Amino acid sequence: MTVQSDVAPGLTPARADAAAIVARGLTRTFKGGIEAVRGIDLSVAGGEVFGFLGPNGAGKTTTVRMFCTLLPPTSGSASVAGLDVVDEAAAVRRRIGVALQEIGLDPVQTGRELLELQCGLYGITGRRARERAGELLDLVGLADAADRRTKTYSGGMKRRLDLASALVHSPQVLFLDEPTTGLDPASRLTIWDEVRRINAGGATVFLTTQYLEEADKLCDRLAIIDDGRIVAEGTPQRLKAEMGHDVVSVSLDGADPAATEAALAGLPGLERVVAEPGALALYVDDGANSIAEIVRRLDRDRILVGAISVARPSLDDVFLKATGRRLEGKDQQQAEVTA
Amino acid sequence: MTEVVLLGRRAVREVIRYPEATIPTLFIPLFFLVVNIGQVSKTFPSSTPFLKGQGYVAFQLPVSLMFAVATATSGLALVTEIDLGYFDKLLVAPIRRSSIIFGRLTADLVRGIATSALVLLVGIALGASVRTGVLGALVIVLLAAAFGVAYAGFGLLVALRTRNVQATQSSFLLFFPLLFLTPNFVPFNRLSSLMETLARINPVSYVIVGLRSLVIDGWDAGKIGVCMLVIVVMGIVLTGLSLRVIARYDR
Repeated sequence: MTVQSDVAPGLTPARADAAAIVARGLTRTFKGGIEAVRGIDLSVAGGEVFGFLGPNGAGKTTTVRMFCTLLPPTSGSASVAGLDVVDEAAAVRRRIGVALQEIGLDPVQTGRELLELQCGLYGITGRRARERAGELLDLVGLADAADRRTKTYSGGMKRRLDLASALVHSPQVLFLDEPTTGLDPASRLTIWDEVRRINAGGATVFLTTQYLEEADKLCDRLAIIDDGRIVAEGTPQRLKAEMGHDVVSVSLDGADPAATEAALAGLPGLERVVAEPGALALYVDDGANSIAEIVRRLDRDRILVGAISVARPSLDDVFLKATGRRLEGKDQQQAEVTA
Repeated sequence: MTEVVLLGRRAVREVIRYPEATIPTLFIPLFFLVVNIGQVSKTFPSSTPFLKGQGYVAFQLPVSLMFAVATATSGLALVTEIDLGYFDKLLVAPIRRSSIIFGRLTADLVRGIATSALVLLVGIALGASVRTGVLGALVIVLLAAAFGVAYAGFGLLVALRTRNVQATQSSFLLFFPLLFLTPNFVPFNRLSSLMETLARINPVSYVIVGLRSLVIDGWDAGKIGVCMLVIVVMGIVLTGLSLRVIARYDR
């Protein structure tokens, strides 16, 4: 079963070539002067899966809440499905589906009741609501649990039901705020499949995540946000290609970082060295051909290291280049970047 | 209107599925009813002029009715919803924000009718007799439930303003002075002059007096009218403030 791409009666479908989301100088400052979002400019085309990648506290959720009309911008403007999120908030709401980071389920209702109520809130009532709820329960694999109260659902089931509740009216633009955070790998893959299926049905998907793999696998384009600012934007392939080099990781395994770095200084094709806990990341033009020279230099200076491996640049490397920090698993650790 | 019906039905379903949220609110009124009667029934025998031939239970019954319906249950349900994130789901739906408030108040009406009917039946079982008969009993239940709806606006207001479960829960405590600075144990003219002054400026007094008149005096249009007026004004003010706050929520 696929999600229908038709929209609610009376609404104009998004044109494939029209920008589904546009932000211009969008900012949000909270009480106490906390600047959560500091002047964001972006444009998401209709039918795209657009990723918004960044660590906790980067401003992802605040941006999504502004797009969803839950939070007014402090300055700047944003439009969704061609409608201004402040001046035409009610019209925007009819065209968007939202699954926020905090799973918005009512624990007292069953899955079926919750979806039927959600249908009702979007003007779908009676037999149509019952049919639509049934379709969506089948779609997210919750038909067997449909008549259980949602408080008995596992985390993965709650996420899937929350996603289904965002789809009752076949939205033009779907906002998913960290849809897989806290899920086990299997549940994460299920959500990914759903996102692909929803997008194949014609909906534009705006997805925030702090998982690099998720952004890499799911998104047509992405923006990296850090400290309220967009620091990189493009397709995952282009962003990685812009790094223009391979990454050779030298596991120190007790070796002195400074001595190792000194031994490798001036390595042909070396762009820069990033010191990480227990390892050095060497950004070189040609990783495979650098290995022999690296080994020779370490042997010359009698430095014994653990493993040496070569990899193509990842989105984490893109994030590191843009912010000076790693994102995945060690986003709090400041890496030393040397030229 | 459809959205109010949908949200109201959901809130009523919540009341039915979570009886543990309603049952404790019945304990206090029934406890006070039984204990107060036990303590003062000899002091105020049925020959006491203001009892007009009835037992003291008839005099106390309206106070217990007020206790039964004046709860922060809706406020607590709303603040829990805010906490869980479901409130955001409702805010982002293309509905009027006021329907979230009116949906909750629908549940208060249903809960108020059920709890006040139960307390009234207990009062009758303990010997009270409703002077205005079955119709009067119905009016008592409806007026008590309406007071519960009006009062619920306060819990909703605190929930929306504080977004804090504890603060919303303790908002119920405000009702204690409002209920005790009234002619709850004896009529106005038996209170000390200070207490009488405070009771006479407390609007809740007139709700008690109105309900009590239906039990003890018979149909008294003046007292019932004032009772209704207080409930309506209180409802308009508290619900109006809640609607104002929800309209500006995060704006």
